[in-house]
This record gives sequence, C-alpha cells and structure tokens, in this order.
Amino acid sequence: MNPKQLEQLLLLEQSGELAPAQRRALAAELAASPDARRFRDQLRALAAAVPPPAAGPAPDAAARIAARLQRNRKSLLAFRPVWKPALAAAAALALLLGIQTFRPAPAPAPVVAAAVANADEEWTDPLDADFTELEELLYAIAADESFEISEL
Amino acid sequence: METDPTIGTEDAQLLAAYRRGDAEALGQLVEKYKRPLFAFLSRFAANPGEADEWFQETWVRAIEHMNVFRQKNLLSWLFRIAHNLIIDQARRKKPDCSLDAPVAGGAFLADLIPAAALSPADEAAGRDLGRHVAAAAALLPVEQREVFWLRMDAGLPFKEIARIQRTSVNTALARMQYALAKLRAELAPAYRELQESRP
Repeated sequence: MNPKQLEQLLLLEQSGELAPAQRRALAAELAASPDARRFRDQLRALAAAVPPPAAGPAPDAAARIAARLQRNRKSLLAFRPVWKPALAAAAALALLLGIQTFRPAPAPAPVVAAAVANADEEWTDPLDADFTELEELLYAIAADESFEISEL
Repeated sequence: METDPTIGTEDAQLLAAYRRGDAEALGQLVEKYKRPLFAFLSRFAANPGEADEWFQETWVRAIEHMNVFRQKNLLSWLFRIAHNLIIDQARRKKPDCSLDAPVAGGAFLADLIPAAALSPADEAAGRDLGRHVAAAAALLPVEQREVFWLRMDAGLPFKEIARIQRTSVNTALARMQYALAKLRAELAPAYRELQESRP
C-alpha cells in the first residue's frame, strides 16, 4: 500500500466511511508497518491540534435574520401590485405606437413590376418536365389494373 | 399549513411554524445550528463582523429558497448555501489567486506568504500548533480549505462534503489530501516539536 492509499484509508477511517474490505486492508497495514502507525499518529495529532472554532454569532442574530426576511417580503409585496399594471401599460403603449407608426409596404415601381412579370413568364423550371412525366405514369398506373407496383 | 416531508420532522415543524408567523420558531432553528454553521463561516471570513453578516445571509437565502430544498438534513442545506456564498466572496476578493500560482523568480505564492501569515507574536509562540494550523489552513485554496474545515470542525463525512461541493467523494478526499500535504509542509517544524515532545 502506498502512502497516498494509506492516507485515504486513514481519512475514511476517521470519518467512519470505511468499507469492510478497506477496514481489513488498513488493519493489516497498520499491524505490519511501523511507518503506517506513525503516519496515523501524525494525522491524529493534527486533528487534535485544530484550534476551537469561533464561539457563535451575535446574540441577536436570529432577530436580525427575521427582520431581514420581513423586509425582503415587504419589498416583494410592495413590488407585486405594481408590476402587472406597469406591464399592461407598457404593452398598450407598444401597441399604440405600433399602430401609429405602421405604414403599408409601398407598391413596386412600374419598371420593377414589369421585369418581375417577364421573368415569371420566361423562366421554366426544369423539374416541371419530370413532374409531368411522373404525373402521366401515375395516371397510367391508375388506368392499368394489372400494373404491379414492383414494376416501378 | 403542511409540514415539509423532505426534512427532519422537528425542523419541518419549526419551519412550518415560522411560515405561520411564529418568529420564535426561526429563533429555535437558528439556535440549533448556529455553532457548526458560524464556525464554518468564521474560518473564511476576514473578521467576526463579516462572519456574522455571512451567517445572516446564509439563513436568509436558506429560508427564501426553501422551495428548492430537497435534502433531509437542514444543516447540509445551510452548509451548501454557505459554500456558495464563500465561493462568491472568494471570487470577488481574490480572482485567480492560488497558493500554486507561480510568481517571479520561479517560486510559488505559497512560498512567499507564510512569513506574513503569522504575526511576530505568533511566531514567538511557535509551540502553539493550533495557531499554526489555523494560519496555514487560511492559505489553502478555498475548496481544499472547505473540505478541511467541514471535516475537522463540523465532522462531516466525505460523502456529505462531496454533496455540498457538488463533486465526487474521490475529489473531496483528494482535496483533503492536498490540504494535508500543504499543511504538513507548512507545519513541519511544529510537527517535529510535537513528535519530540511525545514520550
């Protein structure tokens, strides 16, 4: 067992979290190794040397906590009746401004409109021909009752 | 009002009583957990006044966020909130500051601080291992310091500490080992004295 593993097991032993197999392994190591025992003593000495913690909070801590909670609650309650009407007013204002500033999109200039119309007429989609063929095939299938779908 | 089934019966009853307006119930809860919680916070605060402020803040946050509380142990919940508070404070006070941070001359920050950590009076009273431990622990990175004090002061198991720090048991254990390694190095002379003084 290396020192790191030994220390882990000693720490888990101190915290009462050793699994049975770990407990057996640690006991064997401590029994066999004076270094391991010395290491455990060091760890215990450190734990024992830890200075005592501060005594406690101010005597009126609970009263001050209660006062802060009360104050926070009051400010929340004070805020609550205000935010809904404020939100409604903001929404109404936004709607009003939207209506007032709304302008319909201007019609395209005559030259542009004519160009678009020409383009529509002149342009033919190459896929159109394929779709037409497919349409004809589907009609043929519908007309021919002996047609097997596998022929597709 | 119904009591909260997720926490201990007595605590749940006191919380329910407080929600009904019984301020005395909150006083009882604060009294019940004040020692371990304040002890933990005071290990990180700059002075008792700051520890007192953090203590109140922890309780206020705990009560106000009780709806997201899902543990059975109120003290663990308080420690978790205290942990968040400490981490927030540490980030505000010392961004990117670590004992392992390299400084000029190829040294590390940890190598330079110890002389400043103990006052001349403390140095003179070198036999006081406890003071040395506290001074050396104050120099640890915050996560390691948390594990160290949650173990040493509060006596929490690593499983619980891992939950508070939202990490694995192995990480909590490793943090403790890093902390101990650094303390051992810092406390080597005092350790030797301690060993030599033993029969």
